[in-house]
Amino acid sequence: MSNVETTDMALFVRTSEEDFRSWDRQKIVDALVRETYIDEDTAIRISKEVESQIIASNLKIITAPLIRELVDAKLIEHGLERARWMHTRLGMPLYDVNQLILHPNRENANVPHGPEATNLTLAEHIKKEYALLALFSQEVADAHLRGDIHIHDLGFCDRPYCSGQSLEYVKKFGLNLPNALSMAKPAKHPEVLLAHMVKFAAALQGNFAGAIGWDAVNLFFAPYLSGMSDREIRQLAQIMIFEFSQQAVARGGQAIFSDINIYWEVPSHFENVPAIGPGGIYTGKTYGQYLEESQRFARALFDVYLEGDASGRPFFFPKPLVHITEKFFKTPGHQDFLFHICEVAAEKGNTYFVFDRGDTAKISECCRLSFKLRAEDLEDAKEPWKMRYCALQNVTLNLPRVGYEVKGDNCRLFERLGDLMELAAEAHMQKRVFIEKLLALGESGPLSLLTMSRDGEPYLRLERASHLIGMVGLNELVKIQTGQEMHESKEAFMMGLKIISHLKLLADRLSSKHKMHFVLEQTPAESTSYRFAKLDLRHYGSAAEKTVQGDLAKGEVYYTNSTYLNVSAPINPIERVRQEGLFHPLIEAGALTHIWLGEARPSRESLANFVVKTFQKTLNDQIAFSPEFTTCNSCSQTARGLKETCPYCGSDQVDGITRITGYFTKISSWNKGKRGELRDRYRNQIYLQRESVGNEI
Amino acid sequence: MKAINTCPAGQIKGFIETSFSDWPGKVAAVVFLSGCNLRCPYCHNYTLVLSPHFYETIPRPWIASRLREFSGWIDGVVISGGEPCLSPRLPQLIRFFRHLSFPVKLDTNGTKPELLAALLEDGLLDYVAMDVKAPLDDIRYSRCAGVPQSVSPIRRSLAILAQSGIEYELRMTVCPSLTTREDIQDLARQIEGVKRFVLQGFNPKDPLRPELKSVSPYSRQEMLEFQRILKEYVAECTVAG
Repeated sequence: MSNVETTDMALFVRTSEEDFRSWDRQKIVDALVRETYIDEDTAIRISKEVESQIIASNLKIITAPLIRELVDAKLIEHGLERARWMHTRLGMPLYDVNQLILHPNRENANVPHGPEATNLTLAEHIKKEYALLALFSQEVADAHLRGDIHIHDLGFCDRPYCSGQSLEYVKKFGLNLPNALSMAKPAKHPEVLLAHMVKFAAALQGNFAGAIGWDAVNLFFAPYLSGMSDREIRQLAQIMIFEFSQQAVARGGQAIFSDINIYWEVPSHFENVPAIGPGGIYTGKTYGQYLEESQRFARALFDVYLEGDASGRPFFFPKPLVHITEKFFKTPGHQDFLFHICEVAAEKGNTYFVFDRGDTAKISECCRLSFKLRAEDLEDAKEPWKMRYCALQNVTLNLPRVGYEVKGDNCRLFERLGDLMELAAEAHMQKRVFIEKLLALGESGPLSLLTMSRDGEPYLRLERASHLIGMVGLNELVKIQTGQEMHESKEAFMMGLKIISHLKLLADRLSSKHKMHFVLEQTPAESTSYRFAKLDLRHYGSAAEKTVQGDLAKGEVYYTNSTYLNVSAPINPIERVRQEGLFHPLIEAGALTHIWLGEARPSRESLANFVVKTFQKTLNDQIAFSPEFTTCNSCSQTARGLKETCPYCGSDQVDGITRITGYFTKISSWNKGKRGELRDRYRNQIYLQRESVGNEI
Repeated sequence: MKAINTCPAGQIKGFIETSFSDWPGKVAAVVFLSGCNLRCPYCHNYTLVLSPHFYETIPRPWIASRLREFSGWIDGVVISGGEPCLSPRLPQLIRFFRHLSFPVKLDTNGTKPELLAALLEDGLLDYVAMDVKAPLDDIRYSRCAGVPQSVSPIRRSLAILAQSGIEYELRMTVCPSLTTREDIQDLARQIEGVKRFVLQGFNPKDPLRPELKSVSPYSRQEMLEFQRILKEYVAECTVAG
């Protein structure tokens, strides 16, 4: 058989270039020599062996991917593992692609189902494989695959994670993006500035994996608003919120994950900064002189949030983050404004209350991420367009798994945590090298937008980048180590604090060792807490069965997010903000306490009262109140609470809406783990005790 | 009814340590007492009324220790139910909370004007929320209260509150099969001059009378319409829930 001449073969190859080519053995040799380190003689030998195999099978048509698989099989036979690895083909089975096109993906509830979303998932799949094979070392990749750690957004491995920016960049330089089809000068009118902002956000979304946040939006708009009537300002606010919430064009057809930071006062670091106005020209005033316009815009934005969309649903994006500071309380009108934003919190849930105590200043975004402004950042505030920050990547530690490994041995616990932190740092360094390589290609490279340097330095200021290390399941780790969850005893809680303090110490130490900024973050863990729980059930059997939260029988399992207390425990909101807040100073890159409201409609004055106390009496970084809604697709009304059918028209075509992690979304898009959590959430409701009164918290 | 026989009224059966919705402007703790003399068809706390013996009575020392734990946060205690005024020990319970230095709000259905008057006279209350079920005539009131109920004690309670100078609000749950637009209009005229009125939507999830489960609550627009009617007669009217 092997002496059949190849020229006699009527064999055609379906190539990846959408073409039929006649069989040419040399192509195998070329690919092996080009892609791997093996010598030409070996390559020829392998190509001949593959050829015989194909001839023997009497095929008329063969695909290029199949040839590659056959070559890889031969490489393994010859013990050429390294070459096989380098010669790997990335892709997906037909069956999977079929499933994907037909069925929604639940990994990220913000991605709708549709052709754009499928494109995103397919691309993510290949980039994820690429990252695990080629970007990260095998040690790091294996740790991710095993579920010791989770490297977030691997499907976006060729971009940084998320960013916070200043509107001043757009105001000063207009919209002048690399490779764009047209250039726009700085905006002269507020509507145009808004259009620039939205388009820039969309462009940035294409260059980051996560959220796009904007600092002090109401203040930076203020110089454009002089002389506008309330009605016009309200209209502008409405356009802004609708533009961001309906802009379902970016990344896989999802809305831009956007955040707007809002101040009632003029923050001290902007008070004496010259204001940029229409046309990108200094107005001759400082921002301190635009307090009135800034406040009017802030108020108008919340008027729009209060109303909700056309059917009364809360807007999902942009998320409004109001900074509650010492100066907030010294600024006239703060009480009314606080009632106003609390009314929105009570009615729709949108408001995030970000607490900046003392001299702290920060930009917040994403599900809870914040960039604390350091001395050099406050220096930048004099030229606010410089204030752009990014987190390069997020790596999350699977804390309960450490517990299964050390089985209650505290000595080994802290040692093992050290190993994991080193591993996370390693993952960050590898990603950073890769991003640096892409950035080095400049304006002709893939990250050209991030290298544009309108103000003399690249848009992405890598030296200011943070590298996030998150955690999932502190509560469960503590349970394994002490036999109790964190809310069950003081000792258990202290153990939790000790672990996070240790991680913080390690992050600081790694920062000075590697001259990179490693910071702890509360990972939102929308899918990670489910993934870790599933993997641990598979690998750690009964130990994990005793530990995971949720409904094992239904497979709706999860670990408690980050440093949170058990979501189902009847812990009142005071206790929750106080206790969870004790972790917040250790978690530099942002933390948040959720208060699940369920169906209850609180009084705005009571919420305001609680917000002020949280600011004054706790260390809590950020809180949000989350009501639940049912929106009807038949009659377009929205009711409070999660209901099976529309309370107004009885239709079962309803969607439940509430916060999944750091944002609102429809529950139908949630993964199983999050659904399990939703069922468990304690919603501050009346609790009638059927048995004896429970333990004190 | 066995349930009521085995469990005297006025036992603390439920406790919310932190409520944002029971006392306007305050972060309040709420205790729920067992027993009620009405059987409002839409009642959603009916387990406290019909089967309180299924639930543990929460001991006062435990409640006191929880309240102390959150001193500086909790601004007051709301006593709710059930109907708290059925319990002869209510004054004592209120004094207990006042000794812990908490202001006290009472939720009542207004059927016990004598006790209400006594509590107010002794200065034991800081705020009262009184339910009004229907316009003030015996037929319509009894229909919404689920038992025959004369409106004369209700009228007396309203008068007592109006004369007391205490801050108070009237609350009304509106359920389509029980309350009409006309009822709202009539009631509004009868209570003219009241400072604060809260309209509460009916929740069909788990009402005392299961047949109400299939009743659709009034829409947001209808609730706002009721609010508009009431606002002509009362200073402040809010829609809750």
